[in-house]
Amino acid sequence: MEYTLKAPMPGLVARVVVVEGESVTEGQELAVINCMKIEISCPTGKRGTVKKILVGEWDEMDVDTPMILLEV
Amino acid sequence: MIKKILIANRGEIVSRIIKTCNLMGIETVVVYSEADKDASYVKQANESYCIGAPSPIKSYLNIESIVTVLKKSKADAVHPGYGFLSENAGFAKAVVASGAIWIGPDPKVLENIESKCYCRKLASELDLPVTPGTIQPIETIRDIYNIAESVGVPLMLKLDKGGGGKGIQRIDEIQDSKKMQAMFDSLQRVGVMAFASGDVYVEKVIERARHIEVQFLADQDQQVICLGERECSIQRRYQKIIEESPSVVVSETERQRLFAYTKKLIHTMRYTGAGTIEYLRDIEGSYYFMEINARLQVEHPVTEYITKIDIVEQQIRIAAGEKLAMQQQDVSFCGHAIECRIYAEDPETFMPSPGIIRKLSLPDTIINTSLRIDSVAEEGGNVPPYYDPLFAKVISWGSDRQSAIEILKTGLMSFVVEGIKTTIRADLAILNHPKFVAGDIHTAFLSEEHCLSQAKLS
Repeated sequence: MEYTLKAPMPGLVARVVVVEGESVTEGQELAVINCMKIEISCPTGKRGTVKKILVGEWDEMDVDTPMILLEV
Repeated sequence: MIKKILIANRGEIVSRIIKTCNLMGIETVVVYSEADKDASYVKQANESYCIGAPSPIKSYLNIESIVTVLKKSKADAVHPGYGFLSENAGFAKAVVASGAIWIGPDPKVLENIESKCYCRKLASELDLPVTPGTIQPIETIRDIYNIAESVGVPLMLKLDKGGGGKGIQRIDEIQDSKKMQAMFDSLQRVGVMAFASGDVYVEKVIERARHIEVQFLADQDQQVICLGERECSIQRRYQKIIEESPSVVVSETERQRLFAYTKKLIHTMRYTGAGTIEYLRDIEGSYYFMEINARLQVEHPVTEYITKIDIVEQQIRIAAGEKLAMQQQDVSFCGHAIECRIYAEDPETFMPSPGIIRKLSLPDTIINTSLRIDSVAEEGGNVPPYYDPLFAKVISWGSDRQSAIEILKTGLMSFVVEGIKTTIRADLAILNHPKFVAGDIHTAFLSEEHCLSQAKLS
């Protein structure tokens, strides 16, 4: 099964803190977005393995833009 | 003579600079990112050019793109506004190299000022009081323990080239060496990534300090005049919310002492243009040099109200090589002015609130000349999530502080904003707070007085 981490708010990708292939636990921070200069942490709702990172640093995002794909 | 100015910024400050250029008969060139292409302030300029994608790194921080427009538009000067590239020596150099005038201090002076340790060292050599701590970057965490032993805690670890509230780490109690090392390493990493320098220095925290800054103008003949002080003690996340002039605590003797410090430092640096020196005042009334802001500041309208001097006009005249037309004794201060920043944020949590402005109605400033609003917000307009949350600056003037506060409150209450959240309620809660009214404020005021939870009630 797949799980997609989506942007909780519009903004910029400040950084992605995991790499493809990494296993992550529920609630772990996967990325940080920058909305109006404030950094907002994006934790995963499920545990699993990072399958694909869909965004790059300083990419612009709307709410719900897919950011990271997990195999759960 | 400057005939055409390129404004390398976005939002309200662009519109502010265009107004002065129009009065001086100077043409304007505006650059904008794709996110700002429909904003109406862009159309106020004589020419406008898109410089890239919304992300600041691709547009407003993109030196190459801006310099290309500079050459194409044949503008003969660049006004950098505040934030973005306004204090970037590399950008200033690129502007000068392309044959245009940089409206600000010489790139070499800017380069020096980028290092806070350089400023601390120079200030202490000139016998200005500097906050206890190191005047050069520390080598190891051993230095932090040494400073803690001699001046005590709390301390701040600060990035030598940091700014905008970034790159500050507070140490409330002495940690074991493992934790301290981790803190030091992480700050160095932030520095290398964000400011291309991992240098860190240590400063003692001045508790219950008041933030007092002095606005100055310096021409190419090294004449320096001070346009009074501004008190900016109401802050959150090291960012200012309310600024006023004069400060209720600064006596005439203290003011003259601050002016003397400012003139000595600015003269020695061979700084030209407008700028600000920030000081901290502790509860005993001692002052400490903090830093130099080598740009036009967000809160400059406060000074313009009480001195009737257009600071942007002075910046342009100085950059064009004109001598200051006035001396210190010609500067007079009239009444009291207060600026309040409205942010596009939740008034209780201060979380960002970008989006479309569905409805907007601003207070009258045509009949009411005691109120000034610097904003480019418009009904149907967009507040993009990529930039600073500043939505509007509301500035009031009164014959005394009390009347300035009343005019500001009336102004804030007549705002109507729908579609996004704003901090108007939080601003009003501060202005109504008995301690604020009494002038009993300091930089930790907001966190101590819980004005945010009071914003819920009002």
